[in-house]
Amino acid sequence: MIRYLRLYAHFMRFSISKALEFRLDFFFRIFMDLVYYGIQIGFYQAIFMQTPLLGGWSRDQSLVFMGGYLVVDAISMTLFSNNMWMLPVAINRGDLDYYLVRPVSSLFFLSLRDFAANSLINLGFAVGILAWTVLRLPEPPHAVSLLLFLAMLPFGAVLHYQMHLVSLLPVFWMGSGSNLHGIFYSFARCMERPDRIFTGWIRRLLVSVLPFCLMASFPARVFLEGPHWPILLHFAAVITAFFLFIIFIWNRGLRAYSSASS
Amino acid sequence: MIKARGLSKTFRVHKKEAGLKGSLRALFVRDWKTVHALKGVDLDVGAGEIVGLVGANGAGKTTLVKALAGILHPTGGTAEVLGHVPWRRHNEFRRQIALIMGQKAQLWWDLPAGDGFLLLREIYQVPGDRFAANLKTLTEALQIGDKLNIQIRRLSLGERMKMELIAALLHNPKVLFLDEPTIGLDLAAQRAIREFILDYRRRENPAMILTSHYMEDIEKLCERIVLIRDGELVYDGGREKLLASYALHKVLTAHLRAGEAPAEGPARPQGDSGVPGEILEWNGTQVKLKVPRSEAAAAASHLLQSYPVADLSIEEEDIGTVIEAMMKRDKAA
Repeated sequence: MIRYLRLYAHFMRFSISKALEFRLDFFFRIFMDLVYYGIQIGFYQAIFMQTPLLGGWSRDQSLVFMGGYLVVDAISMTLFSNNMWMLPVAINRGDLDYYLVRPVSSLFFLSLRDFAANSLINLGFAVGILAWTVLRLPEPPHAVSLLLFLAMLPFGAVLHYQMHLVSLLPVFWMGSGSNLHGIFYSFARCMERPDRIFTGWIRRLLVSVLPFCLMASFPARVFLEGPHWPILLHFAAVITAFFLFIIFIWNRGLRAYSSASS
Repeated sequence: MIKARGLSKTFRVHKKEAGLKGSLRALFVRDWKTVHALKGVDLDVGAGEIVGLVGANGAGKTTLVKALAGILHPTGGTAEVLGHVPWRRHNEFRRQIALIMGQKAQLWWDLPAGDGFLLLREIYQVPGDRFAANLKTLTEALQIGDKLNIQIRRLSLGERMKMELIAALLHNPKVLFLDEPTIGLDLAAQRAIREFILDYRRRENPAMILTSHYMEDIEKLCERIVLIRDGELVYDGGREKLLASYALHKVLTAHLRAGEAPAEGPARPQGDSGVPGEILEWNGTQVKLKVPRSEAAAAASHLLQSYPVADLSIEEEDIGTVIEAMMKRDKAA
């Protein structure tokens, strides 16, 4: 474990020095994300001109939820996104060969080796927006709920990464993976909507096998509506289940890769 | 250190006809073809040995290397490398091997090699003092210590390959797989890398398997040659034995005494039935003949008697020519 943390410290150091080298790209990406944040805030302001409640939440509560998913998104962008973009390419091109001969988990390497330094700055902005939305709530939040909320958001990002990875795993068998990102990003929009606006089997799907509504909605509900054990357990169970599922499929994928490789 | 028995590997690939029509057809109907990349390969490599794996493109060289390095899961047979089954990829196994592929970079493009080496130190858990000592020895041997802080993408191909070699050897691997380590390099860089590989062997005594299209690599580095054709080993033995059994000719070179031979050279041996074989060179100072092995002695004595020879040498044919001839012969068979 300590070895992996040390390896990760190297990844961070290398990625930061690499990001700083391409100055224009560095600032442009920060600017792009700021535009995205502005659009999200504007979107919620526009909706609440039409309705007083959205999925059971008021304007102030919905803004906290929004702040939550901006943080989830920023963590995911910082830690995982660049790596997920490169993953199908690495598998297609056979770069995986070198990872397979190293005494270290190939999944760890391919998931985390590129740390997005510019997104770390955006994470700062996202946390700032979240703090602003929490502070403008009419009633001061409960400390336990707030702590649980803040603790759940990084796990929401882990779930976001897990879903992205799951959408990419077919590349082991398909040979080409460029379309797979599209599937993930179409679904990922559901993360940006409160879970209660969905009903029936779609909702059941979005909190179980396609758990996009868990990533930010469940942490926000724990914060806004108090810590309910079923929600916390549900959240933990889905993350654990996907973790085990990914390990299983990854190993099958490696076997397929090593069978097809020449 | 390396032991393979009956190693085989089959792939299923789909055949596609050329052109757009072929592509459209392949979208709906696939013709599958089974390719036998390895057919029951037996191979043993001991410590300190450098085995030259030679074969045409698609003969199965890289497949064999990948199976032994644990990247590839074979269809049949067994293999043991350092007491481990390679494709189970135990960390203990992976810590002791290294793979270099001339066509694929392992170091990160945007990082200086020095940073990449630090990462490898962490991956292989090389103790600090050993890492420093290894890095010093390796960079000095390749004379590249001053380039450690330059990003890989800014290095020349030769410098990059040297860095790749260092990257592969920092953890003192006991088994080395070198797949085309000198591909695309200029002669000076090829020579430097060859010397370096021999130097590494002297120091660490590892088992090495080397594939290369450059016969000079094979000739200078490998005492033992394994010839692979269509997934089968067709020759496995010493370099000398290969020459003795398969080289059909020897090359005779005679230097003539200046002044004693006519200015325009000795009479060309038209009609001189005593000169057997093929004349490669014939001028005022030098005669070079390619003669069948069995007639080399007679040809030498003929030259000595008939011409003012100052110095005579009899050499084996170039190993590349022998291997090429063998591969052609096998194809025809």
